[in-house]
Amino acid sequence: MSSENRALSVHYEYDPVFLHSRREAIIIVGVWALGLLWSVPYCYLRGYNLSPQEIHTIWGIPSWVFWGIGVPWIIADLFTAWFCFWYMSLDDLGEEQENPETLQGIERSGETRLESPHE
Amino acid sequence: MSDGTPAVSYAPNTALLIFLLYTLGVFALAWVSNRLLRSKSFLSEYFLGSRSLGVWAFALTFAATSASGGSFTGFPSKIYSHGWILALWIGSYIVVPICGMGILGKRINQIARRTGAITVPDVIRDRFNNPAFGVLATTLIVFFMSINLTAQFKSGSLILKTLLNDVPLFQALAQQASDLKEGSSLLAGVDSAYLLCLLVFAVAVIVYTTYGGFHAVVWTDVMQGIVMVLGVLILLPLALIQVGGLESATDQFKEMTPPRIGSARLELDGPSQQGTVIPAGSWILLHDGSDDRVLRTGREAVIPAGLNQVESVQVLEITTDRQAQQLKRRIQANEVPTLSPNISATITQMEDYRYGADQPGTYLTGPGPDRHSDLGFLPLSLAISFFFMWAISGSGQPGSMVRLMAFNNSLTLRRSIFTVSIYYSLIYFPLVIIFCCSRIFLPGMDLESDRIMPATAVFLSSGAGMPWLAGILVAAPFAAVMSTVDSFLLVISSALVRDVYQRNINPNVSEQRIKWMSYACTVLVGLGAVAGAVSPPQFLQDIIVYTGSGLAACFLGPIALGLYWPRVNAAGAIAGMLGGFLSHLLLYIIGYAVYGRFASYRLLSMDPLIWGLFASFLLVVIVSKITPPPPEALVRRYFYRTV
Repeated sequence: MSSENRALSVHYEYDPVFLHSRREAIIIVGVWALGLLWSVPYCYLRGYNLSPQEIHTIWGIPSWVFWGIGVPWIIADLFTAWFCFWYMSLDDLGEEQENPETLQGIERSGETRLESPHE
Repeated sequence: MSDGTPAVSYAPNTALLIFLLYTLGVFALAWVSNRLLRSKSFLSEYFLGSRSLGVWAFALTFAATSASGGSFTGFPSKIYSHGWILALWIGSYIVVPICGMGILGKRINQIARRTGAITVPDVIRDRFNNPAFGVLATTLIVFFMSINLTAQFKSGSLILKTLLNDVPLFQALAQQASDLKEGSSLLAGVDSAYLLCLLVFAVAVIVYTTYGGFHAVVWTDVMQGIVMVLGVLILLPLALIQVGGLESATDQFKEMTPPRIGSARLELDGPSQQGTVIPAGSWILLHDGSDDRVLRTGREAVIPAGLNQVESVQVLEITTDRQAQQLKRRIQANEVPTLSPNISATITQMEDYRYGADQPGTYLTGPGPDRHSDLGFLPLSLAISFFFMWAISGSGQPGSMVRLMAFNNSLTLRRSIFTVSIYYSLIYFPLVIIFCCSRIFLPGMDLESDRIMPATAVFLSSGAGMPWLAGILVAAPFAAVMSTVDSFLLVISSALVRDVYQRNINPNVSEQRIKWMSYACTVLVGLGAVAGAVSPPQFLQDIIVYTGSGLAACFLGPIALGLYWPRVNAAGAIAGMLGGFLSHLLLYIIGYAVYGRFASYRLLSMDPLIWGLFASFLLVVIVSKITPPPPEALVRRYFYRTV
C-alpha cells in the first residue's frame, strides 16, 4: 500500500453494521448447527426402532422427544432471548435515501480508490 | 362422542357467520390501509409499508406468512398419519425465528434503505449494479411464486369448502353453480362446490390485497396470527382432557398399529330404483369367520339406480385390538355412522403399510409408519434434510426477505425475533400433541387426514359444549392460507411493476400510472392463479416443496454472500443463482424419469435443497474468485463508511 493511499484509506473503515451483522449471523448459523448436531443424532439414537417396552415417557411425552426436541426448544428460546436483548447490537440502519447515489456518481466524485482489503 | 360426520355439521351457521365476520374485518383493514396510501409515496407504501413496521406487525406478519395453510392442514395431517416423529420433522423450528430474521435481517434492511430498494430484485440489482441480474431474479420469483400461489389458492378453497360444506345457503349456491357450469367443457370435471369456494376465496383475497397493499397484508397477518395461536391454545387443553391426559394417550399409543388400506365391494340386498349413497366415513363391522373386522369407508360411494352393488370402495381396517373392540361396541350401539343394514361389504383387496405394519408403538418412535416407503416416514437422511429445510431454506424465501426490509429499526428486529420464537413455541409443539391425541378420539381418519384439523376442532368444541368454537378454530387454517396468499400476490406484482416495468422499461413513469399498474397487476396475477387452481395439477404437495426449496437454492447464496462478503461480484452471484436453480431442477427431472411422476430424486438420500444450496454457494465463491473483483466504489458503498 503506497503512503498516499495509506493516508487516504484511513478515511474509510468497515461499516460497523456490516461487522456486527456478520458476527451475529455466524453465531446464529453456529447455533443452528448445534441444534442439528444435537437433535437429529439424539432422536435417531434414542428414538428410532424402539419396542413398546423401550419407550419411556416424561409427562406423557416420549423421552427421546422430550430431550431431543422439547428441552432444546426451551434452551433455544432462552438463547434467543439472551441474544436479542443482551447481545445483538442496536445498530442504526440509516434513513431511506430518496435520491440514492448511483455507482457512476460515486466514481465521478473523484474519491480515491481503496486498496482491496476484501481479497 | 362419535366421528365420521361431516366436519362442521354441528355448527354450520356459526361457521358461516365466523367466516363472514372474518372477511368483513379483512376488508375493513384494507379500506383503512388504502387511506394511508394517499398520504405517502405510493410504491414504497403499497409494496413495503414505507419501512414502518413495529414489533407486533413485523413479528406477526413474518410468522403468519411463514406459517401457510400447510401448517394447519398438511402438518396436522402428517402428525395424525405418522405420530410423534413429526416432532423431529419440525425440529429446526426451534431456531427458525432467529435464523429467518437474524441472519439477514439487519443487513438487508440497511442495504435496502441505502438504495431505496422496495423489492428483492431491487436489492440484487443495486447491490451488484447489474440490471440484467435484477431481471433474472424477477423471472425466478415470478416463476416459483406463481406456481406456489396456485397451490395455495387450491388449499384455501378446500379449507373453505370444509368450513361451509354443510351450510344450507352454501349448498344451494353450489347447486346453482353446478347448473351454471353445465355445458361448459372447460369446467366439466370440476366440483361445483370447490369452484364456488375458489371464487369466493379469490375475490376476498384479491380485493383486499389489491386495494390495501402491504399494510392491508400486514394487518390481516396480525389478525390471522392471533387467530392461529388462539386456535392452538384452545385446542390443546381440550385435546388433553378428551384423552384423559398425555400419559394415558401415550399408553394407548404403545399398543397402536397402523391400519390396513384396501378396497371393498358394497352390495344392496336388492336393486333399488334410486341411487344409494354411502357417505364417507361409514363404519363397517365385518364378520369374518370367528373374527370381527372393523372397517371404515374412505370416500363417498354411490350404488347407481337399478344396480345393487359398487366395486372398489376404498376402505381402511383398524388393526389395533383395543380400538377395534371399542369401535365394535359403538357400531353395535349405533353411536357412530354405520353402513345401512341392507348393505353388505366384501373385502376385495387389503394391504399393509410398507413400514410399521403390525409393530405396536410405531407411532411413538422413529422413523414412523409409512404407507408407501420401506424406510418409514422420516429416515435419518430426511431428518437431516428437514433440519436444513425449515431454518435455512426459510431464510432464503423472497417473501420473508421483503418483510426484513420493512421493519423500522434494530430494536424492532430484536423484539420481533423473540416474539416469533415464543409464538412458534406456542404453536408447533402443541400441534404435535393435539394431533397425536386425535388418533385416539378420532380413529380411522387416515384416508382423509387432510380434514383432521377441522374434524378435531368440531369434535373438541362440541365435546366441551361450545360448538360455536368450531367456527373460530376452523378459521385458523383459513387465516394461515390467506396470510400466505396475500404476501405472494404482492411479491409477484411488485416484481412485475417495479422490477420489470419501472426499473427497466419506463423509469420516469408517473405515480398515478404506477398506482393503477400495481392494482391491475395484483388483480391479474390473482386471476392467473385462480385459473390455474380451477383444475390444479396432481402432486400439488410435491410442487409446493419444489417451489419453496427452489427459491432458497436460487436466492440464499447470492443474497447472503452479497451482504457479507465484499469480494463477491455479479458474475459469481449470477452463477450461484443459476447453479442453484439448475442443480435443484435437475434432481427433479431425474426424479420424474426414475419415478414416472413429479418427485425429487434424493442423491445420496439428501433432499435436492441441500444439493441446490451447496451448488449455489460453491459457484458464488468459485466464480467470484476467478473473475475480476467488483468495482471499488460498489464495495465502498455497501461495506464501508467514512470516518
